[in-house]
Amino acid sequence: MRAYVLRRLLGVVLVLLATSLLIFAIVHVLPGNVAYAILGEYATPAAVATLQQRLGLNDPLWLQYWHWLAGVLHGDMGQSLVMDRPAGPLILDALGRSAILAGSAFAIVAAGGIALGVHAATHQGRASDLVMTLAQFVFIAVPDFFWAILGVVVFASWLHLLPATGYAPPADGLLAWASHLLLPVVVLSIGLLAHVSRLTRAAMLEALRSRYVLMARAKGLSERRVLWRHAAPNAMLPTITILAIDFGLLIGGVVVVETVFAYPGLGRLLVFAIEHHDLPLLQAGMLVLTAIYALANLAADLGYAALNPRIRYGAAA
Amino acid sequence: MKLTRRTILGATLALPAIRAARAATDVMRIAIGTSLAKLDPLLTTIGDEYIYNNLVFNGLTRMAADLSTQPDLAESWSFSDDLKRWTFRLHRGVKFHDGQEMTSADVVALFKRLLDPASAAPSRSNYTMVSGVTAPDPYTVVFELSSPYGGFADILSDRQVKIVPAGSAAQLASHPIGTGPFKFVSYTPGDRLILARNADYFEPGMPKLQGVELRIIPEISVKIAALEAGDIDVLWDLPLEQVKQLGGRSEVRVDSVPTASWDAAIMNNLIPPFNDPRVRLAFQMAVSKADVVDLTLFGQGAPTISPIPPTHPFYAHDIAFPPVDPDGARKLLAEAGHPEGITIPIVVPVGRPVRERLGVTLQQLAKPGGFDLQVQRVPFSSYDAEVSGKAPLYIDGYFARPTIDTSTYPFLHSGGSWNEKLWHYSDVGVDKALEAARLSGDLGVQKTQYIAMQTALNANPAGFFAYAVNFACAYRKSVGGVTTHPMRWFDLRTATVA
Repeated sequence: MRAYVLRRLLGVVLVLLATSLLIFAIVHVLPGNVAYAILGEYATPAAVATLQQRLGLNDPLWLQYWHWLAGVLHGDMGQSLVMDRPAGPLILDALGRSAILAGSAFAIVAAGGIALGVHAATHQGRASDLVMTLAQFVFIAVPDFFWAILGVVVFASWLHLLPATGYAPPADGLLAWASHLLLPVVVLSIGLLAHVSRLTRAAMLEALRSRYVLMARAKGLSERRVLWRHAAPNAMLPTITILAIDFGLLIGGVVVVETVFAYPGLGRLLVFAIEHHDLPLLQAGMLVLTAIYALANLAADLGYAALNPRIRYGAAA
Repeated sequence: MKLTRRTILGATLALPAIRAARAATDVMRIAIGTSLAKLDPLLTTIGDEYIYNNLVFNGLTRMAADLSTQPDLAESWSFSDDLKRWTFRLHRGVKFHDGQEMTSADVVALFKRLLDPASAAPSRSNYTMVSGVTAPDPYTVVFELSSPYGGFADILSDRQVKIVPAGSAAQLASHPIGTGPFKFVSYTPGDRLILARNADYFEPGMPKLQGVELRIIPEISVKIAALEAGDIDVLWDLPLEQVKQLGGRSEVRVDSVPTASWDAAIMNNLIPPFNDPRVRLAFQMAVSKADVVDLTLFGQGAPTISPIPPTHPFYAHDIAFPPVDPDGARKLLAEAGHPEGITIPIVVPVGRPVRERLGVTLQQLAKPGGFDLQVQRVPFSSYDAEVSGKAPLYIDGYFARPTIDTSTYPFLHSGGSWNEKLWHYSDVGVDKALEAARLSGDLGVQKTQYIAMQTALNANPAGFFAYAVNFACAYRKSVGGVTTHPMRWFDLRTATVA
């Protein structure tokens, strides 16, 4: 087991290395460069040439990459070229705020999705199942930016109940901070909640039709025990996979929701870095994001083993 | 808990309690669109940053909302008869935010840094006429110019030339220090920039506000909702299609002012088909500029001949815009060797909606005159590298510059620094008028020369100057003491929020 985890962690390091190379290559293939981005409407050919020289953009590509890699290995994430600030703290600040948003949404999606899915499967064909199915399709089909704008218009503009934007620094008070978070968390949750509960419902239905559930019922176990001890753990495998992907998505992939609610998270910072060709900032952000994705997947794989005794890693079969 | 109508109603009624109360009084919250990239004013390049520049820093001179030049850190100035030696006398006892006194050494250090090519200051090309800066005493700065320049005091009011402590360049990105009415407190990219009142500001009784917050809110519908809900006080740079719509709301005031910012269809004068002046003239005949203003700007702007806007005293009002003449345009195209008309791509910048709209408008309006334009969308971030100065026809535009000389000479003189990035235009009459205008300190002479320039340009157009565009902001009615500034920044020294 320990050997397996170590092997997987080594894999994560290789993935990070490969990702950094890929990002480096892609940024250099994109038209324009950070010198144009910094100079904006003042980018005369002479000014661009001077700035490129100063930022070391004329060095051979392998040398630029090596400078960056050597820095990272020494714990230096580099300097944002556009903002003239260290990239590490910028990324960590944004990551902290993304983690709050993602953590809250993830808790709702995981707990709510499984509970609703199990409820729907055990009440198949009944009114609550039908209503839920309809709602799930609506929430999966309609993109989250629609709910985001709708939420802002209804709750901020018309009813004046909630703030229009999604972030207040904790210094403004806990209440202000929480009330700002409410809309973005709900908007982020509903689409994923619909998805996860739909998936759980299908897996549960299959499990409930299985022979081991029939066996468990034949033994005379209580329905609650059949449901949560026998059917649910088996039905959870696909749900866990999806949740692991969702977690990575929530941390860095919710650019649209972050933009609508003006939430200063990691996703928007990465878009800023891409738009400005700010390679050190982009690399630092992607490094963190890739690590989170990879570790979430590792956690999901270990979760399988915990839920299903037939899955064992590392030991000889 | 059972979900009944009563519990839902109860929850709804409880909601107002969690809505945050207004954090602090007398703090003005301004919504802007994008994160500031630079906090060192010398390196700033976008409008969102210029707002901050004018709150935290001062220049030697200041441009008022009526575009007149007024004293700022310099209380007075004088110039030699040949306009090549300019002497500025500084206010005494002005303190930087860290308590040090601002003196002529700080001014000299700033201009040395600006003129040093290694600093890669974006606006350096505007100050290439400066050959020397000296400080004879702590309160006097003398500029030596290599050529006469009548508008020198005016260009010192520009956005980037703000005075910072000598030797502070390295720390400006994280802890900017200026002399302005507001002090830097903190900045979170993607969220907000917080400024606090400078109690030691050198102009007595100012500022009135306790602080200013620049809130970065990208989405326009959210900005409007936040303004209506009172989460923000000022919405900077209101999209022009919203001006009439938002103007009808009771709690909000909308202000739309003319500016010298312009958009144009840039034609490359070096390569066919626009290297033939007849083709450029045919385009002017084919399209009505008044229609362009209506369709592209929803009427929030005015047709123009050159970067000089119709609101400026130097505008050539005698030049009328002729009625559209598609047949005449086709005839002229035939004379130029295009009897079947011209089919050509027009590149528009994705991410600049007004300029995108201009491209589509021209595509529709130019068709009867024999121009079959195919709209090509290119992301604005790759525009400078891919399109500018290269494509035969594309849409671009420039924000207002502080003087008529800096608005026209670099763009239209055959040796101008922007000309090579745009149309590669060359006209003897335009060159002569632009040179004569900058050599004179006399407003009457300048006016005559600039009108001559517009006449020559109108006869031999560089491209298609479409319009001077308005600039709009929306304010909650509780906001007082703020004028919408045509240079798109704010002077908040006397501003209040009730």
